[in-house]
Amino acid sequence: MRLAAYYWERTKRQRPAMAGLAFIIFLIILAVSGPFFTVSPTQVNFDEKNIPPPGFTLEQSIYNASSGGFVTTVQRGTWEHPLGTDGMGRDMLAMLISGARVSLLVGLLATGIAIIIGALIGITSAYFGGAMDSVLMRATDIFMTFPFLLLLILIVYLFGSSLTLIIMAIGLTGWTGTARLVRSETLSLRTREFIMASKALGASHLRIIFYHLLPNTLSSIIVLATLSIPGAILAEAALSFIGLGDPQVASWGNILNAGQGSLQTAWWVAVEPGMMLFFTVLAFNFMGEGMREAFEPGGD
Amino acid sequence: MSLRTYIAKRLLHAVLIAWGVMTAAFFLMRLGPNSPADKYIASLGAGHNVTAVVAAIESRYGIDKPLHEQYFNYIASLLQGDWGWSFGTSMPVMELIKTHWIYSFQLVLLSSIFAIVLGISLGMFTAVKKNSRADHIAAFFSFAGISIPHFWLGIMLILIFSVKFGWFKTYYDTSLPMLSLENLHALTLPVFTLGTGMVAGYSRYVRSAMLENMGKDFVRTARAKGLPERTVIGKHVFRNAMLPVITIIMLDMSGIVFGGAYITEVIFGIPGLGWMSLKAVFADDYSVVMAVTLIGAFVTLLFNLLADIAYIYLDPRIRYE
Repeated sequence: MRLAAYYWERTKRQRPAMAGLAFIIFLIILAVSGPFFTVSPTQVNFDEKNIPPPGFTLEQSIYNASSGGFVTTVQRGTWEHPLGTDGMGRDMLAMLISGARVSLLVGLLATGIAIIIGALIGITSAYFGGAMDSVLMRATDIFMTFPFLLLLILIVYLFGSSLTLIIMAIGLTGWTGTARLVRSETLSLRTREFIMASKALGASHLRIIFYHLLPNTLSSIIVLATLSIPGAILAEAALSFIGLGDPQVASWGNILNAGQGSLQTAWWVAVEPGMMLFFTVLAFNFMGEGMREAFEPGGD
Repeated sequence: MSLRTYIAKRLLHAVLIAWGVMTAAFFLMRLGPNSPADKYIASLGAGHNVTAVVAAIESRYGIDKPLHEQYFNYIASLLQGDWGWSFGTSMPVMELIKTHWIYSFQLVLLSSIFAIVLGISLGMFTAVKKNSRADHIAAFFSFAGISIPHFWLGIMLILIFSVKFGWFKTYYDTSLPMLSLENLHALTLPVFTLGTGMVAGYSRYVRSAMLENMGKDFVRTARAKGLPERTVIGKHVFRNAMLPVITIIMLDMSGIVFGGAYITEVIFGIPGLGWMSLKAVFADDYSVVMAVTLIGAFVTLLFNLLADIAYIYLDPRIRYE
């Protein structure tokens, strides 16, 4: 715990990292509290389609059933929909908050899965060495060589696009970087005196791995995890963008996909989810980079 | 170990990895619930004996054989240069790739040139002007460049430059002759979309590699003997800084470019390998997906190998084992 406090002190001095952290906390609060103050993100209302955000106007031709002709109306933004509505009249704010929930869920859970798999493979590989090491590292090489996005697309297409499966798929394909890092860190730790001493005292493999090796690689794992979250978020967004996202939930990629189709009329549908995606990724990158600098020994 | 043995060993390793990727992809695709015959039957319409048609298709393409037999048949035909038959487009996969690869290639080539030239210049400039205002601004922009989702960047570029200003078409026009200014003009937005993240990344690598070398003794010696700053930076620092950068750029080629080019092609409707393979995935056209997966793996392995060899040639101090 003392070490955690020390790292926190050093991270606190990195201003961009703190700005990133503030944005992420804001996003988490929004994602958790969103359902209590917004309308349902999937509620369709064609009477209110393509309403721009307040301050903007949009000319639309709407079919009038009683006169049998098209009437040109000027849509004005209202504060009822502070970020406008999409082509199906769904509230953009509600959809963006739902998207924040999806992105955070994917980013944290998929990275969590990837980190756990990667750390276990990396440590096993380095600690046992020999044939185990070569087999695991060749497997890592094969995974790294596989075109990542195509593999994801294939898995999600073949086994159905539910959010759970997408998270699993991103986690199960994204562990190679962690495995390599943890392996190289463990290799340099393996022959250190305290590990030798522990071995000599008769500690089991599991004890050495979980009490000595893992805690000593933790700081690099945490930095790598933070920097991997944007990749997971972007992977889900890319999948949703090409139409392989979970159709049950509004995610930033889904909205962006719909937005590309309506660029000519409703520009805000494409602009807003992308902005959210951009700032979220930027926030995690700032935080990860700041932590990397803070965690570096002696680097002030 | 001689250089030749080293390269031979690396080649063997690459072949092993390629085989692993191929095997994994093969069985992954066969694990899926869909048969390539399904989509074909859906297009047949009523009035056909479905069971007979499925049986005919499956025996024609050998899908009715046991899995291990299919696997060995696939390897055998692959070794003879036969990449299989595309159900979705009714042509050999090889022909399909021959018509589509050039679109990916031109996009990747132009983006790489754009990114390398701009990334290296920006990296050099920010290293020389370390901690200046320009350096901080560049640092901010490169963070933004790394973080911006390139599919959103592409859409925003279309929104601003195609929809609002009308300078470009919203879609890539395939009717243009490949080597023409019109084609170059049509590729502006896609190249910018794909290249931005690369520029941002490369400029950071170059900057840190330059700064690392600037503090070295040989640089101080060069300055002390009165060489002009131009020569010190341009020759002594730059050339040494380029060593790690070249490797990183080569390794990136496969990763960022292959992943990024994929989506860029989809956004702009460029009929390259990425666009083609996405269509193939949705059409259950497995032999095409297999082929693109293998090409992706080959490109990655090739660049990894080239990076290793380039490193040995550029830096004689490197010892290989």
